[in-house]
Amino acid sequence: MHDRTVVRAVTTSVVRLLLGYSMALVGGVLLGVALARAKAVKQFVGPLVLGLGSVPSICWLPVAILWFGLSETSIQVVVVLGALLPIAVATETAVRHVPPQIIRAARTMGASGPRLLATVVVPAAFPGILGGAKLGWTFALRSLMAGELLFVSGGLGQLLETGRDLGDTALVLAVVVLIVGLSRLSEWALFGRLDREVARRWGAEPA
Amino acid sequence: MFSFAKLVETDEVEDAAPTRARSQRRGASTSLDRVTFAYPGEAAAIASTSLHVDAGELVCLVGPSGSGKSTILNLIAGLLVPTSGRVLFDEEAIRGPGPERAVVFQDAALFPWLTLRDNVEYPLKLAGMPKGERRARSEQLLRMVHLWKFEGSHPHQLSGGMRQRGAIARALATDPAVLLMDEPFAALDAQTREILQGEVERIFQETKKTIVFVTHNVREAVRLADRVVLMGTRPGRILREIAIDLPRPRRIDEERVAWFAADVASEIRSEVEKIAKEEADDAWVAPGGPVHVDPRRNLGSGI
Ligand SMILES: Nc1ncnc2c1ncn2[C@@H]1O[C@H](COP(=O)(O)OP(=O)(O)OP(=O)(O)O)[C@@H](O)[C@H]1O
Ligand SMILES: [Mg+2]
Repeated sequence: MHDRTVVRAVTTSVVRLLLGYSMALVGGVLLGVALARAKAVKQFVGPLVLGLGSVPSICWLPVAILWFGLSETSIQVVVVLGALLPIAVATETAVRHVPPQIIRAARTMGASGPRLLATVVVPAAFPGILGGAKLGWTFALRSLMAGELLFVSGGLGQLLETGRDLGDTALVLAVVVLIVGLSRLSEWALFGRLDREVARRWGAEPA
Repeated sequence: MFSFAKLVETDEVEDAAPTRARSQRRGASTSLDRVTFAYPGEAAAIASTSLHVDAGELVCLVGPSGSGKSTILNLIAGLLVPTSGRVLFDEEAIRGPGPERAVVFQDAALFPWLTLRDNVEYPLKLAGMPKGERRARSEQLLRMVHLWKFEGSHPHQLSGGMRQRGAIARALATDPAVLLMDEPFAALDAQTREILQGEVERIFQETKKTIVFVTHNVREAVRLADRVVLMGTRPGRILREIAIDLPRPRRIDEERVAWFAADVASEIRSEVEKIAKEEADDAWVAPGGPVHVDPRRNLGSGI
């Protein structure tokens, strides 16, 4: 029985994580690029992003529950907000630091607009964006665990809560170990190959 | 040795389909017509400067730091827009960057995430050249600059001189009419530089392209140029133009190259002294007393 509960909890958490994280990744990279390349976006959205970024994402849970009730959506809001902002900030920095010479060279070869963005700016910023993506993954995991602890709806966080209720220290520690394992394994699975690829292309010290 | 002329022949034999990049585009003229350019919020970087470069001419810009050499190159490249005056390419006003005016930057500016070959193919891709042709063209270009063995390497795996040759191959990929080179060999050792100078001269002679070449090295300028344009500062402007009518191919250690270089170098030196004097509020004295120029030295390379 224990085993099935654990497997179900892990599955629930992983599915939530992947779902929320992929939304955060797409949104965060787009927002970051827009912040770096569009003055108007920077002017109006920039301060908001920095401000919201300083709020621990779990603080959004009460608001989310008021708006969306005790639903998957509320949990996802916390995960997405937790991961999106660090990804956006890292992407913005990475795009800003693309050597101007690289962009100038591309323009002299006839690249401009979306083409320049897609074939030069984003690839050139890739090592930094990857760093942001990794950070975002960690934040997504943290936000999810916090959310699940406070929120009765399956997942590893709730299993922790159950362990506490039952006074089952072994279960609580086992879940913690599981979270550590999950975090390490997922990072390796998601980013290991990309890390090696960046190292191969940029040389040992990526920009 | 592989030559550019051969490159064109093989191209023709291998592929009969008409392409943009294959037709040998000769040089076209380019000029600045009373151009003033100021960076935002700054005094003019160049003031009312006129310069005409003929089709198929190789002009070297030399002058002290801050005299606006890079600014002129970037104006012709279309990366900068003049504050006043006109910049022309083939008698038409330049509206922005374009592949008919290729640039080789001091630091090569190859894309680190692409292999050498993909770097050379990047402008061809932008131009919409089909893959097969692109592969053929990049192979020929890399063979021309003797880098074919390294086609799969990433820029960080290459030496400075190899990167620079890669950048030249990339610049030639779309068969530009004007080649703009901004201190392309400044970071290289003397031997490598000499070899690359030879390659530039060879490409120049074989393709009849127009080349504008910026350098701090007066010897390099005289060894390469049909005409050396000497620039001064504050504001950036043209001080003098010196025609170098020496036969080609030339060598860096030729007596006549040294003679011309000594002449140009002494002129630059007095310009640099003038600036230093102004900066030190007229309290500056040239170190080492009167100007002495040794023509056997690498003149002006440290300016
Ligand atoms: N991006 C910039 N913003 C503001 N001022 C600039 C900028 N780039 C150059 N300048 C100024 O314009 C003037 C001309 O600069 P430019 O780079 O054209 O000189 P240069 O002859 O190429 O010098 P160097 O030999 O050192 O490369 C200088 O006074 C410089 O300070
Ligand atoms: Mg310069």
